[in-house]
Amino acid sequence: MKVKINEDWLAVIIAFALVILAMINVISPTWLKF
Amino acid sequence: MTTSAKRQSNLAGFFVGLAIVVALAFVARLLKLQVYNIKDIGLGIPGKSLEYPLWAAILGLIVNYILRTAKVYDFVKPGFRTELFLKIGLVLLGAGISFKVIVTAAGGAILQALILVTCVYFFSWWLGGKFGLPDTLRAVMSTAISICGVSAAIAAAGSVLAKKEEITYVTALVIVTALPLMVIAPLIAGAIGLPEPIAGAWFGGNVDTTAAVVGAGTIYGKTAQQIASIVKQTQNALIGVVAFLLALYFSMVVEGKKERPSAMVIWQRFPKFVLGFIVTSLLFTFGAIQKDPGAAIAALKDWAFCLAFVCMGLELSVGQIKKMGWNPVIVYLIVTVFNTLLALLVAWAIFGWLFPASL
Repeated sequence: MKVKINEDWLAVIIAFALVILAMINVISPTWLKF
Repeated sequence: MTTSAKRQSNLAGFFVGLAIVVALAFVARLLKLQVYNIKDIGLGIPGKSLEYPLWAAILGLIVNYILRTAKVYDFVKPGFRTELFLKIGLVLLGAGISFKVIVTAAGGAILQALILVTCVYFFSWWLGGKFGLPDTLRAVMSTAISICGVSAAIAAAGSVLAKKEEITYVTALVIVTALPLMVIAPLIAGAIGLPEPIAGAWFGGNVDTTAAVVGAGTIYGKTAQQIASIVKQTQNALIGVVAFLLALYFSMVVEGKKERPSAMVIWQRFPKFVLGFIVTSLLFTFGAIQKDPGAAIAALKDWAFCLAFVCMGLELSVGQIKKMGWNPVIVYLIVTVFNTLLALLVAWAIFGWLFPASL
């Protein structure tokens, strides 16, 4: 079966990957501060 | 060009385009940091009022012109992904908002969305008829103005089988009007002294595209950004219902078919990133996101929004509007003014009096 991921789900997957990286302290707030 | 060569060219264009977007986001951030602490940059404008959405959109517009002049725009266009960056930013934004705020604001947002979507949609439909616009264009335009710009236009176009040019026209109109509104709406809100929750609700109900709503909120303040995003996402959630009703109307009334379109379209068109926004808010509310990770997520959110604003400037196409003629433009502008005034009144009544949002 071919699974097609639309843009909405792709955005959710990328965002959650970033949230997890931040939660395990792989991403530091000081690198990114706007 | 063979299919394989075309795919390789698309992939190369995607990466080059993405690199341009990221580079411009870095420049926008740099410009923001340079002027942020200047008390008066001229004409009494404080540096901190020039937030990053403005710099990002301006840089996007400048590079848009350069790329089109150099005739390389179509090659790099696959890397310009406004909607994707925006949706990532909105899911991340949830990680800084208590679920209680979403529930409180959503009550007012649902009421506001029902009033605005209904009034603006039917006013636009009626006015489009007076100006002799085709039914399909009227449907796409009315949905775009009343709900949320580009994605609503695409959803409506699918339901009424609109022509591809009609979607492109409306998309161009949405961005051309949303970009100035993103800057003007916070200025007006500041001039009339609107409190942040009411201003946020106004931006959410009035500015056509979600990216510009978030931009206007960001320029006005943190609370305005949060309320604007909640209000706009509530409005976005109605896309599925409107797409279903349009499909029903066009299939049974306009085309005279007997079979009804499936109600599954309501789920198919539902913006799934709204679910991500709710889940990240729940994680934040139940204490799963601590201080440092929270600050990192907030910064990532700003980066995602900044990339979206750069893309918004890059994706503007004035050429499409010239092809369309003046009637759809006049209808769009009149309805935008109507939407702006009605949204101000409704936001004030609901968020200032009926459901005052406290953050």
